[in-house]
Amino acid sequence: MAGPVLEVRDLSVRFETDDGTAQAVDGFSFSLGEREVLGIVGESGCGKSVTMLSLLRLLPATAVVTGSALFGGTDLLAASPARLRRIRGREISFVFQEPMTSLNPSFTVGRQIGEVLRRHLGLSRRDARARAVDLLDLVRIPAPASRVDEYPHQLSGGMRQRVMIAMALACDPKILIADEPTTALDVTIQAGILDLMRDIRDRLGTAIVLITHNLGVVADIADRVVVMYAGRKAEEAPVHELYDHPQHPYTIGLLGAIPRRGVERLREIPGLVPRLSEPLPYCAFAERCPRADSRSRSEVPPLEEVRPAHFVACFHPGSE
Amino acid sequence: MTVVESAPDLLSPRARRRRLLRRRLARRPLALIGLGVAAAFVLAAILAPVIAPYSASTTDFDALLAKPSWHHLLGTDELGRDIFSRVIWGARASIQAGVLATGLAMAVGVPIGLVAGYYRGWIDPVISRLTDVVLAFPFLILAVGLAAILGPSLLNATIALGVGAAPILVRVARGEALALREEDYVRAAVANGAGDLTILFRHIVPNMASTLLVQATVTIPTAIIGEAVLSFLGLGVQPPTPSWGVMLADAQSYLSQAPRLAVYPGLAIFLCSLSFNLLGDGLRDILDPRTTR
Repeated sequence: MAGPVLEVRDLSVRFETDDGTAQAVDGFSFSLGEREVLGIVGESGCGKSVTMLSLLRLLPATAVVTGSALFGGTDLLAASPARLRRIRGREISFVFQEPMTSLNPSFTVGRQIGEVLRRHLGLSRRDARARAVDLLDLVRIPAPASRVDEYPHQLSGGMRQRVMIAMALACDPKILIADEPTTALDVTIQAGILDLMRDIRDRLGTAIVLITHNLGVVADIADRVVVMYAGRKAEEAPVHELYDHPQHPYTIGLLGAIPRRGVERLREIPGLVPRLSEPLPYCAFAERCPRADSRSRSEVPPLEEVRPAHFVACFHPGSE
Repeated sequence: MTVVESAPDLLSPRARRRRLLRRRLARRPLALIGLGVAAAFVLAAILAPVIAPYSASTTDFDALLAKPSWHHLLGTDELGRDIFSRVIWGARASIQAGVLATGLAMAVGVPIGLVAGYYRGWIDPVISRLTDVVLAFPFLILAVGLAAILGPSLLNATIALGVGAAPILVRVARGEALALREEDYVRAAVANGAGDLTILFRHIVPNMASTLLVQATVTIPTAIIGEAVLSFLGLGVQPPTPSWGVMLADAQSYLSQAPRLAVYPGLAIFLCSLSFNLLGDGLRDILDPRTTR
């Protein structure tokens, strides 16, 4: 693997609202290699989406972001708004969770894909349309030459998500960030979308960050997985290593919650992700953890390499 | 993955939507009547030289205050001018004031509302409070005041009505911009590197177009009545140019002898504003985004 395309260091995000502060991400670091598919996994509210949105400064003005995010020599968190606009959609693009509402209902999908091409690559209207047809074909939409002139309401949810992916890929970005791209879709269509994303990585060499709460989705497609909990990294490992030797009790809990044949009852993790107003001075998972002891409740566990390329932030790591 | 192919339909999406909207219009007889009557008034205004049997100022001294007859369908006024012709010519001032004032109100109000609703920050409360202050004055009082300052003429009356109607459009545009900026497709456009202008004019304005259209059809009749009031008070169209308001003012002196002098222009004002209102109500139902499919 060549040098990382994206290197995020010590990222913290805090929201200053009228109801007080909320610490969403706390000292989070990760890197993304070329052609790599990185899965970021965690429960709702653990800071996955906020992390990714903060990189392109897409959070509302109430968010206070610190740390650094190096992308090809530019610190995204310090870049000028104009530089950022050239990166957004051209070098780093997003696919959001809600395909039903992420397309403008007033324009045909061809024009919306074309808008990105015309903005970033300066294509003419005619060339942009031709390229839009190619892109729809790339994301395996049947009859792309006629679909290109349809309006979003004429397409199903799966189709719309394919259009969103086509739009994200329009300028051949280096990084594609997909925020729960399959959550709003039904299961058969999910598989198709994941298959498409894998194919895109193989054919175009795009590095992909896949945000999900579903470890099953990650197993299918990711090379490496980061497990997040309450704004911190709990565990990081290559995907097979993580499945075969999960170390953090939270990861083990998540794996226990995947439906499997022969297992009668899914195990749940009791409790909820804590809403934090300040960074906790101890392990954030301690409240819900069967292994927690007095040390877990008084110190923040450091991230340690317990097996090759396998990092865990826990005082009591180990597979059950 | 399942692919649901729609049945082969030879019509383009745009044509299909047009057909849908036409069908919806056909199911609303009141809106259809409104459309028909409003169109008739607009046509009468444009084609006045062709339709009107007499010019607006031709006097027939053999028939002063004449009763309706085949010569003069609605009779004549105190100077022997044909009332039917004057009602038709009067439509010009009304429609012109109604349409231009509405256009002016949109041109002034929509950009201000967009700025307030999209950028928010300190500018939004400033614009909103100023709008509230202006809206505290009743529309007609405001228009009368402005017209009095500008001086009496049709153009000045139109400007006064347009400026008077602008605050409502500021409010409508601000509210729409406020809601639309939170849409997922706006967020997606920002993530794709769109700047403020692209977002405003490609993602926000097109999606508020139907709301603005409905608001326009509601503003037109208000401006038509406003023009009649201003002209009645001598602040708008000046005699001898025909206008429904001027005709009403002239009719005052003859109210006991020839009430029809006031009835016909009054009826014209009533029918014209009613038709635009019915059309606006219908359009609101037809273009309601919640029933787009």
